[in-house]
Formats: sequence, C-alpha cells, structure tokens
Amino acid sequence: MTESAAAGIHPQSAATPAPIAPTKLKVRDLHFYYNGFHALKGINMDIPEKKVTAIIGPSGCGKSTLLRIFNRIYAIYPKLEAKGEIVLDGENILDSSYSMNRLRSKVGMVFQKPVPFPMTIFENVAYGIRHHEKLSRADMEIRVEQALRSAALWDEVKDKLKQSALGLSGGQQQRLCIARGIALKPEVLLLDEPTSALDPIATGRIEQLVEELKSEYTIVIVTHNMQQAARCSDLTAFMYLGELIEFDRTEQIFTKPGKKQTEDYITGRFG
Amino acid sequence: MASSSFLYTKRRIKNIVALTLSVIATLIGLIFLAWILWETLRQGVGTLKPQLFTKITAYGEQGGLANAMVGSLIVNLIGILIATPIGVLAGTWLAEYANGTKLGESIRFLNDILLSAPSIVLGLFVYTIVVLPTTSLTSGSTTFSGWAGGVALALIALPVIVRTSDEMLRLVPSTLREASLSLGIPQWKLTTQILIRAARSGIITGVLLALARISGETAPLLFTAFGNNYMTFNPSDKMSSLPQMIYQYANDPGEGLHAIAWAGAFVLTMFVLLLSLASRLVLSRSKVSHD
Repeated sequence: MTESAAAGIHPQSAATPAPIAPTKLKVRDLHFYYNGFHALKGINMDIPEKKVTAIIGPSGCGKSTLLRIFNRIYAIYPKLEAKGEIVLDGENILDSSYSMNRLRSKVGMVFQKPVPFPMTIFENVAYGIRHHEKLSRADMEIRVEQALRSAALWDEVKDKLKQSALGLSGGQQQRLCIARGIALKPEVLLLDEPTSALDPIATGRIEQLVEELKSEYTIVIVTHNMQQAARCSDLTAFMYLGELIEFDRTEQIFTKPGKKQTEDYITGRFG
Repeated sequence: MASSSFLYTKRRIKNIVALTLSVIATLIGLIFLAWILWETLRQGVGTLKPQLFTKITAYGEQGGLANAMVGSLIVNLIGILIATPIGVLAGTWLAEYANGTKLGESIRFLNDILLSAPSIVLGLFVYTIVVLPTTSLTSGSTTFSGWAGGVALALIALPVIVRTSDEMLRLVPSTLREASLSLGIPQWKLTTQILIRAARSGIITGVLLALARISGETAPLLFTAFGNNYMTFNPSDKMSSLPQMIYQYANDPGEGLHAIAWAGAFVLTMFVLLLSLASRLVLSRSKVSHD
C-alpha cells in the first residue's frame, strides 16, 4: 500500500499505476448495462502503449465485457449500453460519430475460440485487408506473408496457402486469427481468453507470440489463467463484480497486492 | 454389493427393452419403405422398358411416360428456379436482419403456416391469379401452362427453402459474425461473403429437399399445368407430369395403364430417393470440413 502510493497510485480510482509508457486507451467513469443490469460500475484505467495489460477476475466479473467495449463489438446486439469515456488517441470512441469501421481497423480482436472464415488460409488473411486497402496482387502476397510470419505461422502453412483454413489445428487456427487481426496493422490488439480452447503447447506458442508482438502493438488480454497473466503481462488489472479493484504492475499484483480482495483471489481463496 | 448388482441387472433389462422397442420402430418404418419400392418395382417391372422413357402417353398402353418425365423436369425446374432466390433472400433477411424483431417473428410464423398449407389450395390460388387472368389476354382460350404449374410448385418449395436457409444461417456461430465485424467488415459483406458461404451446404440441402417435395406433387398441377398427352418442351403449353399421369392411369380401368403407372411410381420414388441421398451427401461433406 505505501509502496503503491509512492509509485503514484490513487487507491480510490485504481486507475493509474506508475506510468510505464504513454497512455494508449484512457478509460473514464465507464458504466455498462446489459438489458438494464449494471455490469460495469465506473471503471477508470489508463492502458499504456506497447505493453501487455492483463485483465483477471472470477467468471462474470465483467472482464470480457470491458474488452468488448474497446472495439464496440457489443454494439451488434440490442439492449446493451455503455456510458462514460474511452479515449483512443485523443478521441472518445464511445462517441456515436466515431466510425466503427475506423475503430475496428485500429483495434483488432481475437476471440476465445478460433474462428477462421470458411475460405483458404491466404484468403482468411487477405479478406480483411482487401476491405480497407486496395493492394496489387504482389503487395497483397507480401502483406499476407508478413502477417503470417508475425503470427509465427508462416513456416507451417506456406505450402498450403490455397487450402481451407478449417483444416488447420486449433492452435494454428488461433494464430491465423491473430495474423488476420494484425494484417490490418491495428494499434491495439484485444485478446479475449485466446488460449482457453488450446492445449499447453499451443498456449505456450501464443504466449511467446504475445511477448513478441508487444514491441509493435498495445495488447490487452483477458484471461482466467493467473499464471498466464503473471507470465506474459506488464500490468494486471483485477476486476470483481463489475468493479476494477486493483490495477498495477504485474509483479506488484502477484507479490504484494494492495487490496485484500486481490490477495484472496490470487492466492485462490475465492474465484 | 448385492444391491448394486441388482441395480445393474435392472438397468440392463431396461436397456434391452428400450433398444428392442427402438429397433422395432425403425424396422416398421424401413419395412414400409422397402415394401413401397418392392411393390412399385414388382407391379411395374413389365413396363420398365426403354419405351417408358422414349414414348409419349398419347399411345396409351403401347406408349410410355416420356412427355410426363420431360414435363415434370421442366415444371419442377421452373418452380425451384423461382423459389430458390426468393427463399434464400427471405431466409437471410429473417436470420440476419430481422432476428428477434416482432416483424421477423411474425413472418417466420406465417412462413410456417404456408409450409403446411394444403397443396390443392395453392393450386387453386395459382389458377385464380395466373391461369384465369391470362385467359382474358388470349381472348378466352384456356391458358393452363407449364409456367403456371411452375409458379404453383414454387409456392410449395418457397417456405421449405425460407425455413432451411433461416435455420442454417442461425446455426452459424455468432463468433463468426463478431470476428468479421471486428475486422471492420460491413454487415452486407459479412452476410453475402461469409455467412452464406458457411451455411452453403445446409442451404443447398434445403433446396434439394424442396425439389424432392415438389416432384411428388399432383394437386397443384391439376389446375395449372393441366396435363398434355403429347411431348412439349415449351412451358407456355399445357404440360404433363409424372405424378399426374400416375394419378390418371391408376384411375383408368385399363390393366396395361396400371402397369405403366406402377413403373412411373417406381421411377419417381427412385428420383426422390436419389435427391435425398444427394442432400445427405452434401451435408455430410460439409460436416467434415467444419470440424
């Protein structure tokens, strides 16, 4: 507690750990309602640029909900409402005038289960690019290769780019989804429990990939696996019942948490 | 120990009884299918010769069913060509744009009513809105035609296609929608290029099943395609069809005509069976590629 205070943390808002990088996403007084149910209660947090921020907490605490507001994917369902501010590069993305198209090309997302499109491996990556940019065939091939290389998938698929993506293994499909996301050159990459459907080896590869990608992207990862948060994040946010309980450097959260609830959760006393 | 082995025996007996009953139920269903195929084959085998496929019904007992088969193919094709685009589009609208809305729910309900509407009613409906008005155009001569028959069959196929397209699209996991929209892809591209592709095999199966359904219909053709004893490839003419010829020949006192009707029934049943098998094949292939 005293150490955190010294590091510049305001215990009430839990919003600002000692700045380790410029803020990329600034969340202010964010509330979210599911059909009238108050799911997020006044979240404040500053997500730093080109770092990995993990969000942990028990099921139903609102961690995925929070992530799904960052690219406003929640908006495709009726009766969901977000109030407050999320500032990305100086603009509030919750503003109704903020273009979804622009937001989603800046903020990419990878989901819990891998969801390849029913197309070839090449097309899976090229499809999104084609919608945002007009590229020549050769440029497109370069772009697809770059994306697949960044997602550490190129060597495994370079000889079968014309085959259906549905034939890949679960871990490969998930890396394909990451490639598809980073092919659009987003600034922020949201990962919603990206390894919960994968085996330990595939999980290890994804975590390694997250480590490599953070030099270029701001990454926010939701996970219910605390070891994963400890292994691959710089900052960790602990959420409980729709509130942000604590947000600090990962080593701080896992060694000297400032709040009793955080300590109870990470030591396995509830959750 | 004793009580657990007693429980185990009891469950084994229950299991055997349940299994036996379900096998019997399956056999009863299969027996009738085999019986129908066997009976149509046995009764029609005498006339199941090349001339069944080459000669027309005008020759009566010395003829075949060539004109009825051609008529059936053309009228069914018109029906399915009208119903498929409308049905797939309507199903897409229901699943992707109107899902959960009051209007969507009402239209889905109305479609289910149309699905179970008696086919004779649809035949009379088309007689009233297509055959009768066009009669006035041709200075009073009757305008029964393959086109009118096709429209009547389209009305039967339409709700089947709407229903299957709707259901198949709703089976596509919502994560696929979220993943596409997350890439900034607009709804129309998502629908036409990803969702329809993901649901494609299910939609094709729906169309094949609709085709199987309409190829056995007699009632809607009586007042629309009417029937024709001569060969015609022109849908503006009256047209014959297999189910209708079977109906007419079965009502005829002539023994020879009965045999031709049986042979026609066999051909028709085999056609429907093959369509069903084809639709199973399409579906099973897609399962392999989805997992």
